[in-house]
Amino acid sequence: MRTLSRFRLMEAALVLGVAAFAVAQASAAELIRIVSPYQTTTLDPMRSASAGNIETYGQLYARLLQRSPTTGALEPGLAESWEQSDDGGTYTFHLRDAQFSDGSPITAADVVFSLERIRTDKQSAYPAPLGSVETITAVDMKTVSVKLKSAFAPFLGNLEIWNMGIVSKVDVQKQGAEKAFSSVPVTSGPYAVKKWKPNETLVLQPNAHYWRKGYPKSDAIIELKEVASAETRMAMLKAGEAEVMRDVPWPQINDLKSADNIDMQLEPSTTIYMTLLNHKREPFSNMKARQAAAYAIDVKALTKAITQGYAQPANTTLPDSLGFHDKHHPGIPFDPTKARQLLAESGMEGREVKILATSDAADQQLALLLQAQWQAIGLKPVIVNVDSGAWWDATGKGEYDASATWWYNETPDPDLAVRWALCGSCGSNSFNTFYSNPKVDELVEQGAKESIPQKRSQIYQEIQRITVEEVSQIPLYYAPNAVAYSKRLEGIKLTPSLQWTLEDTTIIK
Amino acid sequence: MSIPLLIIRRTPQLCAVLVGISIVTFLLLHLAPGDPARLLAGGRASAETIAAIRSQYGLDQPLWSQYLTYFVNLLGGDIGQSLRFQRPVSELISQFMWPTLFFTGYVVMLAVPSTVVLAIASARRPGGATDQVIRIVGVIGLTIPVFWLGIMMSRFFGVALGWFPVSGYGEGFTEHLHHLFLPALSTTIWLVPVLTQSLRAALIEKMTADFVTAARAQGASEREVFWRTTLPNSVLPTLNLLGVMVSFLIGGAIIVETVYEIPGLGSLMVGALLGRDYYVVQGLTLVFAFSTVLITLIVDLLSALIDPRIRF
Repeated sequence: MRTLSRFRLMEAALVLGVAAFAVAQASAAELIRIVSPYQTTTLDPMRSASAGNIETYGQLYARLLQRSPTTGALEPGLAESWEQSDDGGTYTFHLRDAQFSDGSPITAADVVFSLERIRTDKQSAYPAPLGSVETITAVDMKTVSVKLKSAFAPFLGNLEIWNMGIVSKVDVQKQGAEKAFSSVPVTSGPYAVKKWKPNETLVLQPNAHYWRKGYPKSDAIIELKEVASAETRMAMLKAGEAEVMRDVPWPQINDLKSADNIDMQLEPSTTIYMTLLNHKREPFSNMKARQAAAYAIDVKALTKAITQGYAQPANTTLPDSLGFHDKHHPGIPFDPTKARQLLAESGMEGREVKILATSDAADQQLALLLQAQWQAIGLKPVIVNVDSGAWWDATGKGEYDASATWWYNETPDPDLAVRWALCGSCGSNSFNTFYSNPKVDELVEQGAKESIPQKRSQIYQEIQRITVEEVSQIPLYYAPNAVAYSKRLEGIKLTPSLQWTLEDTTIIK
Repeated sequence: MSIPLLIIRRTPQLCAVLVGISIVTFLLLHLAPGDPARLLAGGRASAETIAAIRSQYGLDQPLWSQYLTYFVNLLGGDIGQSLRFQRPVSELISQFMWPTLFFTGYVVMLAVPSTVVLAIASARRPGGATDQVIRIVGVIGLTIPVFWLGIMMSRFFGVALGWFPVSGYGEGFTEHLHHLFLPALSTTIWLVPVLTQSLRAALIEKMTADFVTAARAQGASEREVFWRTTLPNSVLPTLNLLGVMVSFLIGGAIIVETVYEIPGLGSLMVGALLGRDYYVVQGLTLVFAFSTVLITLIVDLLSALIDPRIRF
């Protein structure tokens, strides 16, 4: 008897459970859910240059200038208009009437405060875009004057970068920076924070006080979800639990292309994949050894193997979508015979090469291919697996020999790109390669000051020529951003500066 | 011995465990390569910026002094702030704890009844057809990797058939049941064979025990003998095993939580480890240690309830 009643109980529970599942299907308000492996770890635009945060800042904070989502051209943002002094050394910005998400006006004082934080705060993650600035002053409530150390060609473009968002001076000073950004910050951009569950989801709602009237076009709630596993992101997109999937792995692109209701996009980016070489220690402190390593790699075959042909093989050390990229440079050809010969001349044959690789699938494949091709010319490559924390630690200290990785540039202008990846005197150690050529460093400064495009073009081509020849890094391929969208969304994309055009997005009913 | 006395006796033991674990994790974390400040600020940040962030959070202090500060705060009940999110660790843990606890409870509710049914069916005629089938299916369930099973079930029942969500936790009790069904099932499929094997072996052993024969001799029916004598005497090893498994699930549901994107302690732990969020990892480790001790205590109490001969 007792067993019988127990079974009855289980049966009842089962029926109840199934009934409950049926009820749970009711749908909620309009949602745009973006699933991405990149985390939002802070809402303070000054504090981080990591991919997830960059994407978030653009939704929360408006900047003086912005880029057209369709043409990419610079447009007025919080600054309605601006003029440049005759010597090119001073910019004056006239602010429009705009408000923060709490309804308070955005004034020149807020602009000065925000830009000064980025430029001079000790904890500012990326002050480089304002490196040319001498002073920033509020002329009156609505006018900001920026004096440069000397004329600086890419300055306006730099004001559009993701960390240049305007924050509320009153709020940050009242609460302190840590508290002001820890949960629901005062924002100036198209969205405001509805709820932030760190490590999981950032929920955004339209900012009612946003200066662009009629934007965001849709009143949908935005959920930025952190989903590390690509397999899970794909399942969520296919099952209708997400509308946007960031970072589609190369092997899944064809699968998503053939799926109904999914719009698989390969969007232009400024991302370049390349192999870092450590110039600080042997074997790659030796130029011939670096050249040997470069000639040993069949870049075209490698690109095809890893990206299924969706990326372009790289020919120079700069991303191909940047201004002044040298399209005619032949690049470094695949020539194993020459590679062996160069290695013999360098005296580095049989040297151990420590290749760092993170757990990312493409990273692992790249490491294996590098290992095989370098082994073939007589080096002794060893793969060391690390997580990204240990990766930054080892590359920053120069405790590695090679590592395939990527970087991107936040503007189409190459100034910040060369400062980051090729300049030995700009504080980046040439992206932890410790490559340093005074001639290149000098050209970097010249390129920033030169205002005649033709002359700038020559300068950047010269930088590319020298760095390719000296193999500062080994360029591999130019990768588009692989993003998959629900076909219900219209007007959404991820721009080359890694910003979602959510305010221009509508949902088809 | 009474229950309060047992708890009093266990408390110093618990404290020792917690202090030991906090020291070990502290050292492991801080000696491992990787810098929370770098991961926070990103690749472009200069060495000066990183140094400024490190000094703000006291990461530039000598290790012993950092531990001392941590320990003193711990005594005051403060388990620290998340380096990544500038929020109290306790707030994060309490937010991520419920999905994991619900999941663990769900797995226990699915696993225990099926274990009892399968073990009894198996033990009734050891070596018989039913026993063989259960054993073979069990071995299959045991050998399928949880992550693979998880992905396959999510593809089939979630994406292809649309019966279950493939991610998240949902809102409210019924949604939790719905969202966590596939994750709980894929864990149960692995857990049940382990428990069944243990219970089956104990049942078979106890069926021929002297006290069972004695019960039969006293004229009890087979049903009475089984429910009153054989089963209670056989469940103890399995109960202990279940305790170990539950502790393991609370701390180790990482794979299932990743595959099904459940916002639980496992995914918080992974994020904190990758982000070198020292105090979150420390706090989670303490929670895992504490829950293990607590579950052991509960298992001991249950054992005493089932078998009055057990003394602590």
